[in-house]
Amino acid sequence: MQFVIFGIVTGSTLAIATIGFAMVRQTENFLNIAHAQMMALGAFIGAFLVDRFDMNIFLAGAVTVVAVGLLGVVLSAVVFRPVRNQGGTVLLFTSIGLALMIYAVIIAIFSTRSRIYSVNFGGLHEFGGVNIATGELVIVGLAVAGVIALQLFLGMTSLGRSVRAVASNGELAQVRGVPVNRVSNTIWFISSAFAAMAGVMIGVLSSVNAELGWHNSLIILAAAVLGGLRSIGGVIVAGLLLGIVMDVSALYIATAYRPVVAFGVLVAVLIVKPEGIFSVVRRKDSVVT
Amino acid sequence: MTSPVFWIGVLTLALIYGSLAMVLNVESGWGGMWDLGTAGLLASGAYFYAIVTIDDPGLGTTFVPGWPMWLAWPAAALFTGVVAFVIAIPALRLRREYFLITTLAFAEIIRHLIVIQSDLTRGTTGIANIGRPLDGMVSGRNYNYVLFAIVAFATVIVYLITRRLGTSPYGRTLRAARDNEALALALGKRVNRMRLLTFVTAGVIIGAIAPLYLFFIRAISPSLFAPGFTFTVWTALIIGGMGSIRGGVAGAVVLIVFTEAVGLIELDPSRINILIAIEPFMVGLFLILVLRFRPEGLFTERKAFGVPRAKVDSSAAPTATADSLS
Repeated sequence: MQFVIFGIVTGSTLAIATIGFAMVRQTENFLNIAHAQMMALGAFIGAFLVDRFDMNIFLAGAVTVVAVGLLGVVLSAVVFRPVRNQGGTVLLFTSIGLALMIYAVIIAIFSTRSRIYSVNFGGLHEFGGVNIATGELVIVGLAVAGVIALQLFLGMTSLGRSVRAVASNGELAQVRGVPVNRVSNTIWFISSAFAAMAGVMIGVLSSVNAELGWHNSLIILAAAVLGGLRSIGGVIVAGLLLGIVMDVSALYIATAYRPVVAFGVLVAVLIVKPEGIFSVVRRKDSVVT
Repeated sequence: MTSPVFWIGVLTLALIYGSLAMVLNVESGWGGMWDLGTAGLLASGAYFYAIVTIDDPGLGTTFVPGWPMWLAWPAAALFTGVVAFVIAIPALRLRREYFLITTLAFAEIIRHLIVIQSDLTRGTTGIANIGRPLDGMVSGRNYNYVLFAIVAFATVIVYLITRRLGTSPYGRTLRAARDNEALALALGKRVNRMRLLTFVTAGVIIGAIAPLYLFFIRAISPSLFAPGFTFTVWTALIIGGMGSIRGGVAGAVVLIVFTEAVGLIELDPSRINILIAIEPFMVGLFLILVLRFRPEGLFTERKAFGVPRAKVDSSAAPTATADSLS
């Protein structure tokens, strides 16, 4: 049971990290490999703010989320928009290039030394035989709040409606007068901001080092594919499930196998049901017939 | 200025990357199989070779076969071919980005297994002092020239093999199946079998290149085979030109020489992290700039074969479907 709790905490951060990735996949139609590096960047900026300016963790987190979100908008305009019409493969490899560059900048500025968030949320709480730390409760709470805020934005505002229109059918949305560029900027802001949020969360839970992005790239991909790249609800469930599977597997096999378990699940799902376990629409384009 | 020995080393590394890029080109450029698993296959071959040639029980590994080089080298190639076969069986059922994710996942699984199986592979410590051909005969720095000659010879062989593959009916069929699979199938080409054969052959060649990489770096550890390695090979191929014949090797020389030259900037030792950052930064910058301004690369497929190529990315662009964001 204790491991299920760990799994839920891991899964919440993973879900938050994957939401932005899935949104870009839906609207811009490519796998953004740089997403996990934005997450790592967020983790480093947050740690830097807390460390250097003695900032409150919540304030530092908020500043980081906004800053990385804006950076995401700028990067999308400078790096991705010029090659937008060249198709998903060029965009995918451009995002690999961007990922390498962000990784390099992280090393150049923050060095390869790993750091920890010097924050303390207080002690453990016990609920019916399982322990959960206050920090973990805060993280799960924030993750839930983030998801609810996103759903409210997508469901209640007109910009949110435009986002959904673009996700559903970009060309039709453009023809119907949806401000496509403004929507694209919004999506990049949300995507990068959520990445940064996940980065700060992971940083608070464990530690921050330069390899953080690469370590999470494939796990995020796994969660996104598991959830079916096109549904946010599916991505959240998949993130949680993957987190639980990884942490509960620690009961049976050595913890070193955690990533192997995640990737094994990924490969298995791709083979059995490549459209994702929560997708209704069959992805015709994914399987050799 | 730096010595010629340094630049010979840089060129040796560039040719190793170039050979891998040419192999990748057969799979991805001609075969349309977007493989992000190069590092995993190279790791399989390199570790196989390193483990079976261990002759020193003092290293603390459980398994000390001490095979001679003439046995270990082909065995490493064969072993990598088997690994490629195991990956190909599930991966080839998938396409495009799903194929790419699967191969990347397998590469990462291999790397993590190497870390975990430390009584066989010495985990993150890695294996050092790997024996090299002709090591006793030439001493010290001059060995770099010998190694360069060996690698250059191997690169020429890989080039000849891939050129032969590319211009043969087999290569044409491979490219036809990439551009229009339905048509190739309708003409009676056994596309799936051919792709499997291509993937496994690529694995065997990567496995044969792996010992050369070992001779160059002398000591292996799992961190060498992180996804960044695969991305560097890809960048070399994209710079050189996907689908061309000699693009891979040209792109690798440009990329590696340029990166190493920038790395020569004199810096205060306390800023060592900037030196570490140069390589990924340059590779990333090259990749973005080439894709933006010359996506066909230095040598284009059109030039290599004298025939127009179908739009590269029309097959890879995901189709829009009507389901919505929920």
